[in-house]
Amino acid sequence: MERIGVVLCSGCDIGKAVDLEAVGGVAGEEGAAWVVSHHALCEPEGLETVRRRLEEDAVDGLLLGACSQRCRADVLCDACLGVPVERAALREHVAWSHAPLDEDTQALAEDLVRMGLARAATVRPPEVLDEPVEDTVLVVGGGLAGMQAALAASALGKPVVLVEAREALGGFLREVPGLPPHRPPWDVPVPNTVGDVVRQVLDDPRIRVITGANLERISGQPGQFEVHVGTGDGSETFRAGAIVQATGAEPYDVSRLEALNPDRSPDVIGSVELDAMLASGELRRPSDGATPRRVVFVQCAGSRDPDHLPYCSSECCATTLRQAARLRQDFPEVEPVVLYRDLRTPGTLEHLYQAVQEEGGTLFLRGEVEAVHANGNGSLQVGLAESLLGDGVAVPADLVVLAVGMVPHSADGEAIRMLNDARERAEHGESETQRAEARELVENLASHEGTEILHLTYRQGPDLPVLQYGFPDSHYICFPYETRRTGIYAAGTVRAPMGPAEAAEDAWGAALKAVQCIEAARRGEAVHPRSGDLGVPDFFLQRCTQCKRCTEECPFGTLDEDEKGTPMLNPLRCRHCGICMGACPERIVSFPDYSVDGIASMIKAVEVPDEDEEKPRILALLCENDALPALDTAAALRTGWNPWVRVVPVRCLGSVNIVWIADALSRGFDGVILIGCRYGDDTQCHYVRGSELANRRLENVQETLERLSLEPERIRLVELAHNEFHRIPELLDEFAGEIEEMDPNPYKGF
Amino acid sequence: MATVPLIAPSEELREELRARGGTSAARCFQCATCSAVCDLAPDGRPFPRREMLMAQWGLADQLMADPAVWLCHQCNDCTARCPRDARPGDVLQVVRSLVIERLAFPRSLGRFVANVRTTWPVLLGAPLLLWVLLLGLTGHLGVPAHLVSWEEVVPHWMIYSVFFPVTLLVMAAAGVSARRFWVLLGSTGPPRKGSLPVALGAVAAELVTHRRFGCCETARPRRWGHLALVWGFVGAAVTSGLLIVALYGFHMELPLPLTHPFKILGNLSAVALLVGTAILVVERLKDPDRVGRTTAFDTFFLVVVALVVLTGTLVEVARLTLPAAVGLPMYVVHLSLVLTLFATFPYSKFAHMLYRTLALAHERMTRENDQPPDPTD
Repeated sequence: MERIGVVLCSGCDIGKAVDLEAVGGVAGEEGAAWVVSHHALCEPEGLETVRRRLEEDAVDGLLLGACSQRCRADVLCDACLGVPVERAALREHVAWSHAPLDEDTQALAEDLVRMGLARAATVRPPEVLDEPVEDTVLVVGGGLAGMQAALAASALGKPVVLVEAREALGGFLREVPGLPPHRPPWDVPVPNTVGDVVRQVLDDPRIRVITGANLERISGQPGQFEVHVGTGDGSETFRAGAIVQATGAEPYDVSRLEALNPDRSPDVIGSVELDAMLASGELRRPSDGATPRRVVFVQCAGSRDPDHLPYCSSECCATTLRQAARLRQDFPEVEPVVLYRDLRTPGTLEHLYQAVQEEGGTLFLRGEVEAVHANGNGSLQVGLAESLLGDGVAVPADLVVLAVGMVPHSADGEAIRMLNDARERAEHGESETQRAEARELVENLASHEGTEILHLTYRQGPDLPVLQYGFPDSHYICFPYETRRTGIYAAGTVRAPMGPAEAAEDAWGAALKAVQCIEAARRGEAVHPRSGDLGVPDFFLQRCTQCKRCTEECPFGTLDEDEKGTPMLNPLRCRHCGICMGACPERIVSFPDYSVDGIASMIKAVEVPDEDEEKPRILALLCENDALPALDTAAALRTGWNPWVRVVPVRCLGSVNIVWIADALSRGFDGVILIGCRYGDDTQCHYVRGSELANRRLENVQETLERLSLEPERIRLVELAHNEFHRIPELLDEFAGEIEEMDPNPYKGF
Repeated sequence: MATVPLIAPSEELREELRARGGTSAARCFQCATCSAVCDLAPDGRPFPRREMLMAQWGLADQLMADPAVWLCHQCNDCTARCPRDARPGDVLQVVRSLVIERLAFPRSLGRFVANVRTTWPVLLGAPLLLWVLLLGLTGHLGVPAHLVSWEEVVPHWMIYSVFFPVTLLVMAAAGVSARRFWVLLGSTGPPRKGSLPVALGAVAAELVTHRRFGCCETARPRRWGHLALVWGFVGAAVTSGLLIVALYGFHMELPLPLTHPFKILGNLSAVALLVGTAILVVERLKDPDRVGRTTAFDTFFLVVVALVVLTGTLVEVARLTLPAAVGLPMYVVHLSLVLTLFATFPYSKFAHMLYRTLALAHERMTRENDQPPDPTD
């Protein structure tokens, strides 16, 4: 933007805290085309004033010295005012948080306007992507979740292709005799209606079902996926706009629980086998065909166990209750016994638990099941430790049912990619040591061989990245169904362990996301969390050194590589977080409205007082997702913080390019604090690993500082959740206090 | 594996508990709210969560031998707070009735009284019939013109010849039950230390004020009712003892004047009995969620006690104010009710006096340290 108009709002106490005339003067000095003030910018009269001024003297952009960028976006947006808008948060970051009419407060306000103008000058209008976009939703997996996702997408008017590996639809629940209750009165198992869903799918004219099929390859990006499917009759290719992966889960293999069944009794079975008996109506012990009287269920068999499944599948308890209810109904002489660690019945399943208890024929006992032993006369006994009836007791049993958890039917895309890369290195590695290391890695990763499901042609691997336990979820609680591959959504038991009702709901969620993604792609917009954002990154490839940091560090697999290793952008996979921009040592990545240059200009625009004025300056790079809202909330609560701090919002700490820190230090800033989302196992980063990457990059910076004989403590990264608004002013004050203790930055004035 | 005790769930016992009104035990999901809110549960040996589980599974042996069943004073703090409406207070009450029946000697009498819902006409009618027959056969059914002393209507020798043998038999039966219970209590848990008389003395000291009962928040009025009743009975018993001494040691003439100290003690006891009974009856009629559900077994005992107290008081009033034609049947009814009360002692709810006292003594003798935390602190 070349000509920028400045609008200063004096409402919400801004006019009482700041000499706005002086601020306007500064704006004029900094080259603003014009400056107008109003006492209530967001009111119709205020907006009218701005519109009239725009008519009189058109500009390329506006800088609004008013409230935070997070406020009044309904009337103060680009589209509402007809020109690109930048914000300087005079309300939150000045008036509401600092002493009114104070010298430092005034300096802060003037700096914010300087920074805003500097940044606005670097902003270019986005080039809107206009690519052909395919409407079809591809659903992978024909179980309950897959079928419901297909029905949901179809109900939203999208054509659907449903690909199922088996010959028939229905998935795991196909043969299950009854489902846990999902409707009032919630206390009796309901008939299995998966067959009806199958018919509904087959009857839906918008859904094309391909069974006995396997995916051969998926390339492209949201809106433009190219899908190759192989069937018995050959293979076919079609295009899809978005993908729902609903590949389900398998029950944990009972034969792996040897420790529970050391005598290898055939009368120790899994819940699936019991379901088969219940479905056939013949309850018989595998060993002698006799009808068992006491059927003992062992809950958490192999679950919440570091040697097997470390997690709770949340559904095994419901399955056991359903089976116990059915046993009592079909075989009243049977006495089911449930041995549990914790009986988990989320939501309305509690009613089923209560009903089974109330019926009185099923016994429950809490304790740690140690093992099932044969007791010589053909029956079994289940040993329990720490039971509520005493330590070291045994329960007699005729048939033991192990209630096993779910193993997601997923593939670890990143591991497969590592395996493939290692194999490549093992053959063509540069040195013998490299080749040997690669061979070892190949061995370690051998279990991932041939596990591909989606066969994506992404540089970062052929399948979705998975979480700790193999579930391809997004890491982030706020974005269910989202995976780390834009346009591909996980639903049902492959995403997280769940029951049939939740899987069906999940399917709807994922289908809605898929449709949303197709529509966003059509408009060239980013999907969540920067929904509606238009500017895709631009790579100035002439200067690229093929270091591959951007392709490796992008959390969403946006970038592929050509043979030389030059990044190849798939703009519709991009979520506009800027992590590639932070990664690039050559600084060749920029967005039209967010660039290395833009933030650097803001930093350079700050007027840093001389050393002898004893007014340090601190740069605070705040993540827009959590840290900035926290700071705004602190301001709304009128919590003040040190006036030496200059806040620069960034899209993600991962987008922070190290050069900004160098710029700040050479400009004379005495300290730099970066505040971003929590990372690690329970990451809250909206871009999965931005703050973690920033932390890693900063470690290198701190080494450099030591070489320059500057204290590494001048740079700090802090993790913060967005509800920690009480903590963020303290953090800034503390940091300012520590900076004051140090000598001023010796590079001031250079 | 051979050393591990095999749990033997009994469907029969579960059925029996259900039949007696303990249906709610099945609902318990072992959250332990009951044990947490119970002010009487000793540290380290909380109840009634475990007892609820035993009831669910039908573990008769464990329930019989469990002192906690009797440490409970049925204040129903647990029932009031149970999130599942499993009513632990009611379940323990039902279990207590089961213990009384199963440890009864002879067992058939235990069963007979346990089935009070159907057998109550016999339990109330048989003693009455006995008295009527006795008086009729000995020619004492005639109404005296002017009633001075009850001796004229029912001679003392007749009272002694009925009550002394019955008391002896009842004490023998109760002794057998007590022995059985004491052995059962000792069969599990930590070994007992110290002597039984000392422990019983301590329990008696506790009973003077019903201090333990006082810990039960929900049941506060019942504590005072029960206390008045117990002291009323003690007073009545002491008066009876003193009268026998006065009669045969000092050859006093009955009836004594109303101002005589013995008479005053007796009348005070009657007032205590009346007040205590009234409180207990009223409390029973209140919200069953607070005081617990009342079974036929509970009702029978309370009704017999109430009638004994009521007729006893009326008999005294009748002697002074009413014609003998009204007084005589009232006196006979009173004697027959007292006989019912005595004769059913080891088999009715009355037996709680025996079992709870022993359980309290056992609990004192098995405490980890000698100075237990005082539940009233």
